[in-house]
Amino acid sequence: MLDKIYSEKPLPKMRYCLKCVYPAATATPLAFDDNGVCSGCNVSISTGSIDWAARKEKFIKLVNRYKSKDESNYDCIIPVSGGKDSYFQIHIIKELGLNPLLVTYHGNNYTDTGMKNLLNMREVFDVDHIFFTPSIKVLKTMNRMGMKMMGDMNWHGHAGIFTYPIQVAVKEKVPLMIWGEHGFMDLGGMHSYNDFVEFTYRYRHEHCLRGYEWHDFIEQAPKYNEKLTKRDLLPWIYPSDEEIDEVGVRGIYISNYFKWDANEHGKLMIEKYGFLESEVPFERTYRTMSNLDDMHENGIHDYMKYIKFGYGRASDHVCKDIRSGKMSREEGINIVKKMDHIKSRDLQRWLKYVGWSEEEFDSVADSFRDSRVWWQDDLGWHKHNIWD
Amino acid sequence: MLKRRLIPVLNIMNGLIVRSEDFQVHQNIGNVINQAQRYNEWEVDELIYLDISRGENYDLNRDDHKVQSYSSIEEIIKRISKVCFMPLAFGGGIKCMEDVDIRIKNGADKVIINTAVFLNPCFITEVSQKYGKQAIIVSVDYKYIDNRNVVFIKNGSENTNVDVINWCQKAESLGAGEIFLNSIDRDGIGEGYDIKFINQVVTSLSIPTIACGGAGDFWDFVDLAAESEVSAIAAGNIFHFTERSYPRAKQLLKKENANVR
Repeated sequence: MLDKIYSEKPLPKMRYCLKCVYPAATATPLAFDDNGVCSGCNVSISTGSIDWAARKEKFIKLVNRYKSKDESNYDCIIPVSGGKDSYFQIHIIKELGLNPLLVTYHGNNYTDTGMKNLLNMREVFDVDHIFFTPSIKVLKTMNRMGMKMMGDMNWHGHAGIFTYPIQVAVKEKVPLMIWGEHGFMDLGGMHSYNDFVEFTYRYRHEHCLRGYEWHDFIEQAPKYNEKLTKRDLLPWIYPSDEEIDEVGVRGIYISNYFKWDANEHGKLMIEKYGFLESEVPFERTYRTMSNLDDMHENGIHDYMKYIKFGYGRASDHVCKDIRSGKMSREEGINIVKKMDHIKSRDLQRWLKYVGWSEEEFDSVADSFRDSRVWWQDDLGWHKHNIWD
Repeated sequence: MLKRRLIPVLNIMNGLIVRSEDFQVHQNIGNVINQAQRYNEWEVDELIYLDISRGENYDLNRDDHKVQSYSSIEEIIKRISKVCFMPLAFGGGIKCMEDVDIRIKNGADKVIINTAVFLNPCFITEVSQKYGKQAIIVSVDYKYIDNRNVVFIKNGSENTNVDVINWCQKAESLGAGEIFLNSIDRDGIGEGYDIKFINQVVTSLSIPTIACGGAGDFWDFVDLAAESEVSAIAAGNIFHFTERSYPRAKQLLKKENANVR
């Protein structure tokens, strides 16, 4: 980390998208057009003119090419967290008569409801499921180090989700991987629907993992008084280009072929397969169907996004709901005002889990405040708000 | 005939790599350094960077990535040339010899110039004399209007009404080493190259032409190679979309006997 210099005076006004609520400083790359509308909104608008029936045909043709000829192997791998999107992915694949292998990276942060949903899948869908948990001791170390290195205790989770299933694809020689939505395309409009973008190492490395890999943790461990060796980090080692090419692994996104509507999918999965919503509402978002696989994902992991960039999960969900026409911008702003800044109670679990005090957490967190967003004076930290 | 080159083009807008469509729609793909590293691993024949920034502000827009932010094109070129070992061509924002010097000094092997040489064609000769012919690529953005292809300048925003082939021939006579020909009409839509016109340009020049604009899948490279004598095939967006895009495209071209490196 470079030493940051914070302004003592108010910064120039933050720019916000005129359609949704995203600011110009975001965790997901975002571009604005000449009318002040963000690329996330523009890409979302483009889904209205897509021939989804033709795309479904294209998808069927594509996956059928990967069907195991003599049924001696799985047809594809679906990386799953057990959330509504996982259910939707399996639902599509099973309806097409394919035999998927489900693969889960378990980061030891499941909510009770998330765990029930996860365990339920193999039964309601009648599928095989690999369920992988790294050592808890290593996980705790990764939590602490991720927080100090990049202000994210859940790096292990992002890296695990985007590494372990690919390791399985290589080992089991199953070339086709079915991902759900392309996150940064859905939120920030990183790509157009005509790109048929697929999973790439570079996207994983730069955007999902912030440019860090397992060896960075080994190199930096002594600096933070932690101990890690290569043997601790096997689940996070991405296969080599040669290994991937040998099997021909490719990861496609279902969202390029089926119109993605998280709310609609959620409802359908509840009706059809008994998917469970969270019984306890989240503090930092109004949605009850998202991120049940990790209690910190909507909690303090996301609180760190607020600390860095000045907005949080409520903003993400509001943007999606404004774009799909479920909410007005004004309604959205009210929710953002109530929720984005909340320091959620799951922090207490995390502090106990990794052995930190709240003071330690706060001081590390503050060092990640983005100087493009925050200024500091005698009264504390300040930023612009969309409702100002 | 010399072996053909396949060249990825990276558009830099204010510090981030962008996907470009119609020269107007830009989507942020990520930071410049990571992409350069990946291309280096793929041993690409050559890399073209086009700085299409509006204004002179360069920023990664965040500080929590391993790659630290940068604040000038100079710094960007320096950091790219540290991780990249193939020939690098830098274009965009070059207005005078000092801009050329900065790029060459910091690691560029060639410069690509568009508007500045169109407004002052002698600039081609000056660069050519100072750094050699191989170091200057003249970039020509064009559109098909009223039954002819005309040159556009200033990031595709200004129609010069000048015929593309006339301008390319003039650039050649003034000392340009190569022409980078980019179809605005085809930018980012992935419907194939403007093969017929590319051929007309190629056959009217004796210096190499690099053709860009329109690649929608790797077969578009194969078609362009089979149906034209173009020296280099360039593409921007497509290399961002799939895993190991460049080596896989190369593999296909070799399989189809496209005479690539």
